[in-house]
Amino acid sequence: MRWTHKYLMLWRQMAGQRLRYLAALLALSVGIGLTFAVPLVIGITIDHGLGGKPIDRAWLAGMMDAETLRDGLWWLGLLTVALAALASGFMYAEGVLASRASESITRRLRDMLFDRLQHLTCRYHDEAETGDLVQRCTSDVETTRAFLSTQVVEIVRAVANLLIALPVLFWLNWQLAIASTCVLPVIVGFALVFFRIVQSTFKAMDEAEGALTARLQENLTNIRVVRAFARQAFEQEKFDARNTDHREKHWKLYKVFSVYWSISDFLVFVQMGLALFFGAAFVAGGKMPVGELVTFWLYVGIMVWPVRQMGRTLSELGKALVALQRIDEVLSAPVERDAPDPPIGLPPRLDGRIAFRDVTFGHREDQPVLRGLCFEAEPGETLAILGPSGSGKSTIVSLLLRFYDADSGTIEIDGYDLGRLPRRYVRSQIGAVMQEPFLYSKSLRDNLKLGRHEAPDEDMIDVANSAAVHDAIERFDDGYDTMVGERGVTLSGGQRQRVAIARALLQDKPVMVLDDAFSAVDTKTEALIVSFLRRRKGRATTILIAHRLSTLMHADRVIVLEDGRVTQQGTHDELLRTEGLYQRLWHIQTALEDDLKEELAVV
Amino acid sequence: MSQASTFQDEHVVHAHFDFRLWRRILAFGRPYLRLFGALAGVAVLVAVCEVTMPLLVGVVIDHVTEHGVDTALWPYGLGFAVLTIVFAGLIYAFIALAGRLSIAICYDIREASFRHLQRLHFGYFDQRPVGWLMSRLTSDCNLLSRIMGWSLLDVVWGTCMLLGISAAMLILNWKLALVVLGVVPPLIIACRWFQWRLLFASRKVRKANSHLTAGFNESIQGVKTTKSLVREKRNLEEFQALSDTMYLDSMRNAVYAAAFWPVLLTICSAATGVVLWYGGLNVLAGTLTVGQLVMFIGLATQFSNPIQEMSRTVTMILGAQASAERIQQVLESEPAIRDSDDVRQRIAASSGEKPDSADDGMAETIHRVSFENVSFAYKPGQPVLRDCSLKVEAGRTIALVGPTGGGKSTIVSLLCRFYEPQEGQIMIDETEYRQRSLDWYQSQLGIVLQVPQLFNVTIRDNIRYGRLDATDDEVVAAAKLVNADGFINELAQGYDTKVGEGGNQLSTGQKQLIALARTVLSDPQVFIMDEATSSVDTETEKLIQSAVDRALHGRIAFVIAHRLSTIKNADQILFVDGGEIVEQGTHHELIARRARYFGLYTNQFTEEHEVRVLAGTEYKVDIHH
Repeated sequence: MRWTHKYLMLWRQMAGQRLRYLAALLALSVGIGLTFAVPLVIGITIDHGLGGKPIDRAWLAGMMDAETLRDGLWWLGLLTVALAALASGFMYAEGVLASRASESITRRLRDMLFDRLQHLTCRYHDEAETGDLVQRCTSDVETTRAFLSTQVVEIVRAVANLLIALPVLFWLNWQLAIASTCVLPVIVGFALVFFRIVQSTFKAMDEAEGALTARLQENLTNIRVVRAFARQAFEQEKFDARNTDHREKHWKLYKVFSVYWSISDFLVFVQMGLALFFGAAFVAGGKMPVGELVTFWLYVGIMVWPVRQMGRTLSELGKALVALQRIDEVLSAPVERDAPDPPIGLPPRLDGRIAFRDVTFGHREDQPVLRGLCFEAEPGETLAILGPSGSGKSTIVSLLLRFYDADSGTIEIDGYDLGRLPRRYVRSQIGAVMQEPFLYSKSLRDNLKLGRHEAPDEDMIDVANSAAVHDAIERFDDGYDTMVGERGVTLSGGQRQRVAIARALLQDKPVMVLDDAFSAVDTKTEALIVSFLRRRKGRATTILIAHRLSTLMHADRVIVLEDGRVTQQGTHDELLRTEGLYQRLWHIQTALEDDLKEELAVV
Repeated sequence: MSQASTFQDEHVVHAHFDFRLWRRILAFGRPYLRLFGALAGVAVLVAVCEVTMPLLVGVVIDHVTEHGVDTALWPYGLGFAVLTIVFAGLIYAFIALAGRLSIAICYDIREASFRHLQRLHFGYFDQRPVGWLMSRLTSDCNLLSRIMGWSLLDVVWGTCMLLGISAAMLILNWKLALVVLGVVPPLIIACRWFQWRLLFASRKVRKANSHLTAGFNESIQGVKTTKSLVREKRNLEEFQALSDTMYLDSMRNAVYAAAFWPVLLTICSAATGVVLWYGGLNVLAGTLTVGQLVMFIGLATQFSNPIQEMSRTVTMILGAQASAERIQQVLESEPAIRDSDDVRQRIAASSGEKPDSADDGMAETIHRVSFENVSFAYKPGQPVLRDCSLKVEAGRTIALVGPTGGGKSTIVSLLCRFYEPQEGQIMIDETEYRQRSLDWYQSQLGIVLQVPQLFNVTIRDNIRYGRLDATDDEVVAAAKLVNADGFINELAQGYDTKVGEGGNQLSTGQKQLIALARTVLSDPQVFIMDEATSSVDTETEKLIQSAVDRALHGRIAFVIAHRLSTIKNADQILFVDGGEIVEQGTHHELIARRARYFGLYTNQFTEEHEVRVLAGTEYKVDIHH
């Protein structure tokens, strides 16, 4: 990316806040202008009020004479305080305005990122690493924020200082002005060059810190292994090595800093010394009144520190731009887009007739998962899908929910082409339970009502009972108000699945999909839930992906999926009569009986 | 499970300095008293330099006004140059010294905490999240060592500055000095007020930030659920509430920060104003020179720095009190399981010359392990194991089966002496295991966990973890014994392949084999295995199965078993539920009883066969022949 593009990106992000920044800049300029008036007042007071020198500058002579100044020292003292107070007021305004602008930008950036994350394609999420994405949304945003709220302000302040001070200095005495500012570029240049050279020291320190943390984390997460082999001494040795390395690298970093700060302080004092002694020479030569020297000296003092800070800040600019670029990558990643011409007059609730017609799909082009899949499900029918792992069962669910789109063939729901329907609409017609359901870190009540917020508690308890999870929930101290996740209880896999089933039941959608939703539920509980689903017959088209015969038996129809195609379909009785996967599953019962006979015979 | 909330980061701020919380931390400074002394010396010199600077300026100004054209400025120039160089050198010294001090102390605190953690009993880690412990050894350590290194410097320097400035002013003109010094109390009050507010405000920001991070995390991990529930809009609204909070908290922080410096500036300008007015009168009266007036102005503007720094230090120390308390807690928690005095005496007696030895002078070989009426509860009043008795002879395998939460893992934890029974005894041959050396006993155990945990090093080093002095050949032999040699050799870098963080470069089955090889290499007398439940492909499954058979052979073996073949091969099966051994016997005996084990067996039989049927053709043959 070209660097101009990066700045353009920054400029775009400032949209809506540019006026605020402008106001901040104005307030800053006024504040600095007022600050710079103080040394002028002091200089004039010294020369004319105290030194009794007649006022020779026309603009000032018109207003007052030396005697007025001498007799009005009281007023001059008050004036400096008033100027400083006023300047402070403007600086405060600048600070608040700039923060408001940068915090607003940051907030919008966060909201945009969050919204984007939710709308990115599933393909993008499959490939992205969670840790990396979170880092982009948090620490990269924080880097950008720091840049906008402090670094930009610091640079602007230093530049504004210079822009306001330089004309005044040159107007007072151009020769001394040159002497008083000639080291400033050196200070900035030194910072830029220095931090470029020592970059590797920072990197080494970061790496050493990372290695130390990783070691610590590994020791603590694997503490069972450490204890199991009684390897405490070995671990201590390893940790000490990292700790020592970290100490060495940290120490190098400190040396670098002490060199930087001592040299840059040295340069600052050289600059001040130049101003002082050149000025003193001018005064001694009678070319300049002493008050002006004091003014110069004070000006240099005001200017030089922000400039020194600016050097350090400029050397860190690159970081913010990299962070911004990483954020921009997320913001410009592909999102899910709906077809431009959705059918009109869509009913609020579909009947739930589903048809897959010759559907082909693969996550990678050379490895199709579904190869010409055809099947249909009637409204209210319970259709079970059976197949070995990798046969494409879960893919059917993903396609139905339009997480991905089929490579070829069509999927229809109530005769509508799924690809032309808005995704929101499709998903709002389907209640899905995934194999590893995700629960939000909210209360159980909120998790259950996720799909239907307005549902009354009675309905919620009903579905929880149907999903055989009500009793488990009641056993928690806070019942339905128990928090789930990091800040609350950890549910077992089976409990999570049952909560997700209840959640889908509460949604009461025309289509319900259960993707191996009983894998962590024990057989007895599973039977309870499945028989409930059966009693609900006709309420929704139910697609049941399962591998236990006890579940499959309850379906109206079973399709057997192998290598991305339907190899068999029919009712329980039909399939029992045909050689195939279903029959083989059935034979397990017979095999078990044989086995038990054998076992018992031994005794 | 409610423990999680107990160990969340507390954002406590103590209002007063509590010496007791710092006792242990301050002790870490003791070895560095000389460094502290040097640092204090440098701090004094820095202050002297800084006070000298405005004085020199004043002298120069007086000199040029008095002597005019024919003046020799060079002695002053030389003085200024010397001062500049000395000052730069001092800056170098003080950053280097303070840095060295804080780094050294950081190292020491971290080392001591880690060493202590390694000594603590296992239960300590069971109850505390890894992140909680991590933050003690990282951020708390960093903060405290920074304070130790820098706060002394700040206090000494600040005090010297204030004293130096005051002294210089009082000597120049004590009346003017007293008037100017009037700004000090308001400066101190303003600094304290602002920094206290800023401390609280920034904590709120950090808390809001951690909520935001959690929000992002959830949105990524739950993205498919969100999509399927069409919850994007509501989620965004909820997130916006969080980011609004963050905005408001940040703004509060920013407003305080924006006001802080202007307020100080205004207070300091009062001093300048006074100098101009009262000092000006003195100049007119001839009791003060212009140069001295400039000195006063220079000195007056320097007031705010030391006051700001010192109040920042005080705020930081108070803010870090919670960190000090946390580190102290870690260092002062006592290991609940360790050798008794009697055992320690025996160890000392039997291994006088080798201090690290674990030999307690008793029999090295274990013939039998038995539980005698053992009861145990993690929390008082909630027993998880009741009156449990069992016995295993050398060369025998015991399989523990039963539902989750029934007490199988507790039996194993007690056996490993990660916990100790509250009632009853666990015997090694004729001796209660608390009468034996903990290190000796645990090094006789070989433990294979349900979820294999590997270190992010090479496969070779992972296996060698079982016995650190094993040769490469022995490592390979162990891998061969557990059928791991085959797949390892197929990897591009063979035994030198790095397994990645948590071993994630390998499949679950491969990780299990390596964990098994590691334990086999340690050649334990007692083999304890928590069998994995996660399914692996049939091929690997078979490899693991035969590996387990060979690994257990000839040892005392405890297996929390899930696979039928493991269970059936065991010499004894214990069905554990509700903290009790419900059924006990051989596979055939328990089948014949047609009770709990029978149910488990039929279920497991069906499930394993279902998996095999779905996995492929292998089973077809099984049925038809």
